Amino acid sequence: MRDIALWLSGAALAFLITAGAFLLLANLATAPSEKSLTPEKAPGGPGDSVDLKLDSERLASLEPHPDQKLDLAVENEGGEQLSNVNVTLIVSSENTALLDSRYYRQRVEKIPAGETADVRFTFDLAAPDQPVARPTAQTPEPVRKILELRATTPEGNSTVRTVILPP
Amino acid sequence: MPFRVASVKRFLILSIAALLVAGCAHRSEEVSIAPLAPAAGRVDPGLGPGTQALSSGPGYKGSPSWSPDGDRIAFTVDGYVVDKPTDSGDLRRWTTRDFFAEDTEWESDGVLMILGAAPPSGAEVVSSSLYTARAEEDSLGLERVRKGVLAIGTDGEGLIFALDNGTHESRLSLTRGSVHRLYTRPIEGRVAALSLSPDGEEAVLAVRPPGDREISGLRVFDLSRGIGREITRLDGNQEILGTPQWTDQGIYFVAGKKRTTVDSDIVEPLYDIYRVPNEGGAPEPAPGVGEDFVAASIRVSPDRERLAVIGRLNPKSLTNLYLLDPRARDLTAVTTNEDMEIKTGPDDLAWSPGGKSVAVIARGIPSTKPEVRTEPADRLLKDFYNLYEIPVGGPEDNPR
Repeated sequence: MRDIALWLSGAALAFLITAGAFLLLANLATAPSEKSLTPEKAPGGPGDSVDLKLDSERLASLEPHPDQKLDLAVENEGGEQLSNVNVTLIVSSENTALLDSRYYRQRVEKIPAGETADVRFTFDLAAPDQPVARPTAQTPEPVRKILELRATTPEGNSTVRTVILPP
Repeated sequence: MPFRVASVKRFLILSIAALLVAGCAHRSEEVSIAPLAPAAGRVDPGLGPGTQALSSGPGYKGSPSWSPDGDRIAFTVDGYVVDKPTDSGDLRRWTTRDFFAEDTEWESDGVLMILGAAPPSGAEVVSSSLYTARAEEDSLGLERVRKGVLAIGTDGEGLIFALDNGTHESRLSLTRGSVHRLYTRPIEGRVAALSLSPDGEEAVLAVRPPGDREISGLRVFDLSRGIGREITRLDGNQEILGTPQWTDQGIYFVAGKKRTTVDSDIVEPLYDIYRVPNEGGAPEPAPGVGEDFVAASIRVSPDRERLAVIGRLNPKSLTNLYLLDPRARDLTAVTTNEDMEIKTGPDDLAWSPGGKSVAVIARGIPSTKPEVRTEPADRLLKDFYNLYEIPVGGPEDNPR
């Protein structure tokens, strides 16, 4: 009886050792190390720690009319409080022949470390009157609007988000 | 004995635990990802390895043209004309933003010939004129060479252009160095596009014959004798698209008529590549090109040995760049992209002077939702139509 128990124990142990070895080998051979999916920022100086958060649903609701509103969050990802962060919005057209870019600016007084500040832009997204009737063949499809948002710290570090709005 | 059994049990439990912990554990060190490559330089936007972006940012780009020394490339953006170095560097603007350029070609390094129209005043309809622009001039001033120009072509040594000569006639003018020749004998029909023969002695013209609604005629014009003749005419409401290309194996051109696709009600023009002998005759489908192939534009290489072709293998496949070897009757895919739209305008491709690469214009497939990017707009590539230099190998890579 004892022999049978020992045989069974030995077989179980051999099975487990083999299974464990395979698990170990599988991890060593194929498992990639986990990677942070946070993109690295471009090199910058001290205080390079500001980020812009946009709401995709809000972006999708924008219309080609005046008085459009866009809320965004400016996040201080650094360890120190940020002061006087400039946030700019440039509204332009995919058609670069149109000189219709519009500029908007907001300033955030203080953003404590690790916190966010809400910023609201009210801007004009209406199509401008074209001074010159251009041949349609040159731009055969409706042009898209472009929003370029940039948050800049007093040290000169900045973060950019470009939004391309479908026609 | 109880002690021995307990030891075996404890050993078994500990072994199982150790193996499970060691086997199932993940390595946890984080590895940072390098920043994305900047817009300039070598990129792989889905157009194959070795592809280099020649422009970035928004703007509807067209008509690329390499400078004779290959160092710069000119193109139109939303109607105005710019150029830039092919390696890196800023855009240089040649016309004001309200100018409307249809085509631009280098006459020599530093001199561009521009076909286009200045902004009209009021509701006036302005016909296209040919202008000269020089790189060394500070202003964006253009010198008008000729009014009423229908089409231009160049062979690196000179420029030929077709002039409006009434509703049903055209005339040709040739400029080579200090030689300027205006041909007095009119051409029957309106010239829509033209190019020169390999020896530069003749020009092939795509013409809308009098009374025809389509550009359906091909004519050859002898530049020494100043006379021309029709070499073929399409029937059945077919039209010639873009510029015919003169090779040693005959004259190639894209033509077809609008058809309704079988599977849907969408009316889509389906064009084919045709060849006609230099001496004239009935056009035949270009040998080596599959019958399902849908052509958009073609351009002959500087050595006249190959044709760059933008098209689709069949009506349902994506547009790609191909090389057609007329002598070997062989069509080879250069790109096999799956997520880019290559622009299919008749003038939206150009060979580099050395014949080792082709410039095309492409963009990613536009989204119907807002897209957010982490780069400034002027550095974005795939979101807008941009120029790409695609290596195709030199003539020595072309097996015989």
